[in-house]
Amino acid sequence: MKRAKEQDYSASMPKYKTTVAGSLFTICNTIFMIAFVAVTLYPVLNTLAVSFNDGTDALRGGIYLWPRKWTMKNYSTVLQKDNLLTGAYISVARTVLGTVFGLVTNALLAFIVSRKKFLFKSQLSLFWVITMYVNGGMIPVFLVYKGLGLTNSFWVYVIPGMISAFNMLVMRTYMMGISDSLEESAQLDGAGYMTIFVKIISPLCKPVYATVALFIAVGQWNSWFDAMLYNRMSDQYTTLQYELMKLLSSVTSQGATAETMQNAVQAAGAVTPTSIRAAATIVTMLPIVCLYPFLQRYFVAGLTIGGVKE
Amino acid sequence: MASKTKRVKGKFDWKEFKRQKVLMFWAAVFVIYGVIFYYVPLGGWLIAFQNYKPALGMFKSEFIGLGKFKQLFSDASFLQVIRNTLAMGVINLVLTFVAAIVFAILLNEIRLKFAKKAVQTISYLPHFLSWIVVTGILRDILSGTGIVNELLMAVGATDQTINFFANPDYFWWIVGFSNVWKETGWNAIIYLAAITSIDPSLYEAAAIDGAGRWAKIRHIILPGIRPTVMILLLMNVGNVLNAGFEVQYLLGNGLVQSVSQTIDIYVLKWGISQGDYAIGTAAGIFKSFVSIVLIVLANQFAKRTGDERLF
Amino acid sequence: MKLKKLTAILLASVMAAGMLAGCGGDSDEGGSSNSGSGSSNTSTSQGGDGEIREYTAFFAVPGTEINDDNAVQQAIAEITGAKVKETWLTGQTASEAVGTMIAGGEYPDIIDGSDGRQQLIDAGALIPLEEYLESGDYPNLTNFWSEQEWEKVRQDDGHIYIIPQFGNPYEKDMATQPAEAFWIQTRVLEWAGYPEVKTLDQYFQLLEDYNKANPTMEDGTPNIPYTILCDDWRYFCLENPPQFLDGYPNDGSVIVDPETETIVDYNTTETAVRYFQKLNEMYKKGIVDPECFTQSYDEYIAKLSTGRVLGMVDQQWQFNQVYDTIKQQGLDAQGCNFVPLAIGIDEDTPNQWRTTGRMIDPSNGVGITVSCDDVEGVLQFLNDLLSPEVRVLRGWGIEGEDYEVGEDGLYYRTEEQNNQAADTAYKASQFCSYSYLPNYTGMLADKLNAANPGEQPSMFELTLPADVQRCLEAYGCQTYAEMLGEGTPQPGPWYAMYTYSNSMTTATPGGTAWTKMGECKHEWLPKVVMADDFEAGWDEYMEAYNACNPQDFLDEMQEELDRRIEEAAKFAE
Repeated sequence: MKRAKEQDYSASMPKYKTTVAGSLFTICNTIFMIAFVAVTLYPVLNTLAVSFNDGTDALRGGIYLWPRKWTMKNYSTVLQKDNLLTGAYISVARTVLGTVFGLVTNALLAFIVSRKKFLFKSQLSLFWVITMYVNGGMIPVFLVYKGLGLTNSFWVYVIPGMISAFNMLVMRTYMMGISDSLEESAQLDGAGYMTIFVKIISPLCKPVYATVALFIAVGQWNSWFDAMLYNRMSDQYTTLQYELMKLLSSVTSQGATAETMQNAVQAAGAVTPTSIRAAATIVTMLPIVCLYPFLQRYFVAGLTIGGVKE
Repeated sequence: MASKTKRVKGKFDWKEFKRQKVLMFWAAVFVIYGVIFYYVPLGGWLIAFQNYKPALGMFKSEFIGLGKFKQLFSDASFLQVIRNTLAMGVINLVLTFVAAIVFAILLNEIRLKFAKKAVQTISYLPHFLSWIVVTGILRDILSGTGIVNELLMAVGATDQTINFFANPDYFWWIVGFSNVWKETGWNAIIYLAAITSIDPSLYEAAAIDGAGRWAKIRHIILPGIRPTVMILLLMNVGNVLNAGFEVQYLLGNGLVQSVSQTIDIYVLKWGISQGDYAIGTAAGIFKSFVSIVLIVLANQFAKRTGDERLF
Repeated sequence: MKLKKLTAILLASVMAAGMLAGCGGDSDEGGSSNSGSGSSNTSTSQGGDGEIREYTAFFAVPGTEINDDNAVQQAIAEITGAKVKETWLTGQTASEAVGTMIAGGEYPDIIDGSDGRQQLIDAGALIPLEEYLESGDYPNLTNFWSEQEWEKVRQDDGHIYIIPQFGNPYEKDMATQPAEAFWIQTRVLEWAGYPEVKTLDQYFQLLEDYNKANPTMEDGTPNIPYTILCDDWRYFCLENPPQFLDGYPNDGSVIVDPETETIVDYNTTETAVRYFQKLNEMYKKGIVDPECFTQSYDEYIAKLSTGRVLGMVDQQWQFNQVYDTIKQQGLDAQGCNFVPLAIGIDEDTPNQWRTTGRMIDPSNGVGITVSCDDVEGVLQFLNDLLSPEVRVLRGWGIEGEDYEVGEDGLYYRTEEQNNQAADTAYKASQFCSYSYLPNYTGMLADKLNAANPGEQPSMFELTLPADVQRCLEAYGCQTYAEMLGEGTPQPGPWYAMYTYSNSMTTATPGGTAWTKMGECKHEWLPKVVMADDFEAGWDEYMEAYNACNPQDFLDEMQEELDRRIEEAAKFAE
């Protein structure tokens, strides 16, 4: 533990000799990054512009980076949606709980299968790898959840998806890169596996924990299908995303017929303007994007950790 | 990396088992969990062998054996759909994979901390946009009056506007490109995390040896993230048949439907929207089967090259 | 080591979990009784004045949810003593949504399964309604359809499970909008001096001539003389005009020859060849939008909104929003709004573009599920929804807030009320039309006012754009619909055949053929229109088309046609 010290290595990064090739690289890289930023930022800025544009006007298209006809109406429509507060509360709760539970269980499982001496490491890995590629289908899964009493309940958001083989394997890879010598010396000192997990391995795994936490949190925050499928009848467990999805009933539904859609449009007003769609996108995007900078320092600034192999 | 310790075959090491009892306990808990949430629902695969009627449920529907599979594989359009899915799966895999790694490495080379953070934050934003938004913008860009056509005309690469969505030759690449556009920044996160695990003393040593940037990337960073790259590659190889549904549906049209339809679209069209769940389940089983065969093969290959393996 | 911090987070989350589990426990009881009886919400007292029964409803179509504190819903609840919480399809197909409900055995009280309707009936999820309807306790509901019409809804097992809710104009069909037509901008007609345009050749000639004389809009944007929407299921704008051009009404998937009572495939008629050949010719001349076959619905709407498009085939409900954008940009001054034309293949082709009056769609309707423990209460509510008072509330809203009553008893909306009624947020908190529960169109019970404010003649005229008004006047019409003539009544008891083809599945050879034909047409019709050599292109298309076994489909349609005629004959006796 003594050797683990956090420090920003970019500050102490050794200076390379300035060569022609080196500066050329820097220039090219800068140009590339600027181009990349422009290309990726464009759809977001476009969505933002559309979200502030009058809905009827937006139908014409041709809005790029700036609204043509300003309005805040799209946001007021989105934010006035019923149940939005309940949804937001449940969404925050599922994101926090889901991330904590998911992180702990995935890390523990990854820790187990990354122990070189663990007797069933190959079998246990295979057991989980398979889960990534098989799927019983919507109805059987629904029946199992219902049998377990998870339908019409908050826990359906947290418990079923808690362990994901993908996240587990990402963590395992990272843990396998940590030198065995730390574990061995701790064992000589009489430390058990759980102590090694909590006190030795976990502190070294911050970057990968941060990565997985981000994956889980984003997944939790964005998901709405489970709310619709399992809690359709229980308004008290609705989520923010589901409420917004309901607002976005779109007429792109495949397999529709002109006759049903005619009824739906005439009777139920089933067309959502793109501008409202854009406002809803921004509303859901903002909170989770704000989370990012807190996690980012773990993998951008970089931290010097001792005892990492290679 | 890969452990070379060998256990004595044929003899179970009870002493080691006891030493690991706390690991065994948790492993057992996780196995029970996995069985309940992932393996028990596989009972639903029975549906594929039935003339399933939701009204009768899984236990009373008529059993018809392999009929649905025969139906699938005797349909020429299903074979076409497999080809499309595979092609787009491979294109997506290669493009998104390479793009994310290259981006992560280049991003890591930025010295300005602020710029680095800003670029990364921006790069992963498109991940949060829905496909309907992204494809809407893409259609705009590639339209007859869009920027791409105007650029091509300006440089004289073409004298007539190209209708990108009418030509089956372009479709797979458009899908691949849109995946790169939307997910590169997001996919790069994992590699950035992996790069941080590289011991800085290696850079110092390299600097003393007079290594330049390129040498540093080649001899330190790439080997450093190799395990992560390999694991992700292995996992994604199993996913080539999950090329998706939404993008193809939103970008496709009648003229390109022979190359745009994926297995998932086929299933929706012929199965689910017709109330025929058996077809969908049969296609799902087929996908699972192919995926598992692929990853077992890939895993064997990784084992032989001494790389990181899945199991 | 930030173990403390970690412990704190863990503790906090466990506490939060406990809290949720606590309230989860409580509501779990609610939830489980909910799943047991499916309607614990039913007959829960709302407190305050009187008990208001609450029911749940699910409609397997996209729709807009209203707020819980909705004013009209409350007003209706005060009259009827009940309210219904509506939910709509989100991100699933109708079959999927219904499939999971059946698997779980949990239903709302009221359901419209849309495409999943038959699955619900097969699963025994809907209760038979005929005895309730015959009991006479729910007269409004029983009299909503005639005896013969109810007979069409009856399943083979002798039960009536659903109540069709659409296509029932009260007293008089007030529709101002036609469905499908060839549309044309008013500026084109005005330029040509409002001529009579009756044939396909005349229509395209006019577009061509106008475009030659005026290749651009006032600001220099080039015109698009003709575009075609063919995004997914909306491609009917490309594929089904041959039935109208031949003088038949919208049976949807086939033509029914009323004299011989046989099914005719409109995809292969002489008229179909002429129609597609015309499109091919126009495509080569640059009259047909070269990007039309790849455009999405959104792009199509955007194109129409710029005012560049001179004409197209479509149903008006698909592009209603375009009138608003045209108005907003002031393009109505240039004559960029669309009016419909009844086009035939020849001068003397009969015109059956518009079918008016009652038309029951027996394949669509709401049912009451086995989870509902107060069937009488629900039926009473549905019955009350058809009472004169409630019909006003459903159509117009609350007097003084959403509409005013003139001295002549005619309802009207002030400009402010009109603007309010168009606001999404206001709509969610104010209006509640229970749009998917049975309701009359046409007129209100007073036989004076239209059921729908948009169809009130005095109001309709006010909302009409100036260019359209001039155009309608020139042709001596008052509404868009009248441009297509008087409208014809239903051609026969079989009408409309699409109610059958829409519910076909791949379980039968005919259904399989129908799906394949659709796929084939999606790919080949654009190719035929774009073909360098039309004849060769058409032959290739026919080869691919015949490989789909269209005869299987036609045979099944003929069977259904015979069955429907036979059913009707029973009533004639």
